[in-house]
Amino acid sequence: MERIIWRRQALNLVVMVLASAATLFGLVWLVWLLWTTVTEGMAALSPKLLTQMTPPPGAEGGLANAFVGSLLIVTLGTLIGTPIGILAGTYLAEFGKRSKVAETIRFVNDILLSAPSIVIGLFVYELAVRTVGHFSGYAGGLALALILLPVVVRTTDESLRLVPATLREAALSLGLPMWKVVLNIVYRAGATGIATGVLLAVARISGETAPLLFTALNNQFWSTDMGTPMANVPVVIFQYAMSPYDSWHALAWAGALIVTAFVLGLSIVVRVLLRPRTYR
Amino acid sequence: MTVEFSQALAEKPAEAADGPVKLAVRDLEFFYGKSRALHGITFDIPANSITAVIGPSGCGKSTLLRTMNRIYELYPDQHTRGQILLDGEDLLSPTFKLSALRARVGMVFQKPTPFNLSIYDNVAFALRHYEQLSRAETHQRVALALKQAALWDEVKDKLKRSALSLSGGQQQRLCIARALAVRPEVILLDEPTSALDPVSTAKIEELVIEQSADYTFVVVTHNLQQAARIANRTAFMLNGDLIEVGDRERIFLNPTDERTRAYVTGRFG
Repeated sequence: MERIIWRRQALNLVVMVLASAATLFGLVWLVWLLWTTVTEGMAALSPKLLTQMTPPPGAEGGLANAFVGSLLIVTLGTLIGTPIGILAGTYLAEFGKRSKVAETIRFVNDILLSAPSIVIGLFVYELAVRTVGHFSGYAGGLALALILLPVVVRTTDESLRLVPATLREAALSLGLPMWKVVLNIVYRAGATGIATGVLLAVARISGETAPLLFTALNNQFWSTDMGTPMANVPVVIFQYAMSPYDSWHALAWAGALIVTAFVLGLSIVVRVLLRPRTYR
Repeated sequence: MTVEFSQALAEKPAEAADGPVKLAVRDLEFFYGKSRALHGITFDIPANSITAVIGPSGCGKSTLLRTMNRIYELYPDQHTRGQILLDGEDLLSPTFKLSALRARVGMVFQKPTPFNLSIYDNVAFALRHYEQLSRAETHQRVALALKQAALWDEVKDKLKRSALSLSGGQQQRLCIARALAVRPEVILLDEPTSALDPVSTAKIEELVIEQSADYTFVVVTHNLQQAARIANRTAFMLNGDLIEVGDRERIFLNPTDERTRAYVTGRFG
């Protein structure tokens, strides 16, 4: 008896140590990565980042055009992808339900969800860059929309399916039409989940580089014309980090820090949104 | 056991429910996919009365209730055969408009289902869908419904607050108020108090008895005492069959079927 207990305790200890070590192993890389980004990025932070354009090698400069470009491209992607994604998710959860069509769409959507972003970049390159003959902010927005779309479809579908069936039954039992029930009752109950999905998708696309390389490309100058190539933070980070110039490296670190902080900020908003509600 | 029922029965004077028939169920069968859950049910539900449907879990009483406003149609694999006549017209017929049906036959569920809206809007939402009312008229109707549901005194000072802030018993009365507000003819109650404490239960029973002068109630309940306290008529179901239906005194004190007697005396179920 004694021996069995001793063995169980020993086994428990071994498993606990292994699990903790695995956790620690994962955390080490994350902390290291964040630590490097923060220290290197902080050293490069300056007000010039927001006021000056991306410089040629050796010259002083900032990332103003890249920030504006990213802002415009991400906004466009979000504006295209969110409504379509929410509507598609609504179809799946409320109308398609468990039907064959809906399950097929879910499956295809999951494939799109895990499609390498470079493939999406190439696709939009063929669709919206080659056909018009030049890179553009619009093409970038479209590529990001395609990456955001499946995330929003999935989270909308899932949040709406979490809304209890009895709530729908209760609303329909009052004789209300389905569209009114979805719009006024079900959306309200699933709103937090849907908003969370959109925010997570925005976080995801704000760091995407590959699709923008093939679509928006880059631009050294200030530009808000989305019909032309546009600077954006991920591509600038990519280009500058690969360069041999120290001043460009510093700017890349600063850009990386700011994108990371932005994504972290969005994640915090999501956490706050998902916090169990307290009633006033 | 019989003594207990006598007490419960004595609390409410017997009123033989033999008004006009509101709902007439005829040879009703119900299918979940291929499995048959109701085997040809036939009985009448008199107007302006309370009919309780009792029986052990899984006997089909909730299923029966869910046919009466066709809420089961939400699920593609569920279907019915037979008829349910609402004032003589078959409500199961595809030509009977669903929105018209649900305006006339309301339903309250086992778990309170408040909408994520204010207390006021929970009641006003469906009301606004049906009627073009002025602000004052809407307010009047909301207040009336809340009074009928014995909730007004508790919420009159916080109508703008979220309905989710109410207690379970209050939420359930809000759901009843919501159903009453659109002035249906029939209200289906699916184990309306099984999730509630005794005080809330008593309040709901009281309001149902009070409102039964104007509405026809069909109550599914696991609680035999409750059926004995509030029902005019009681129907006993077992394994998808309607075993016996009659005035509650007869069902509880003088059942003709041995299975009914066994159930109401607590020998099974």
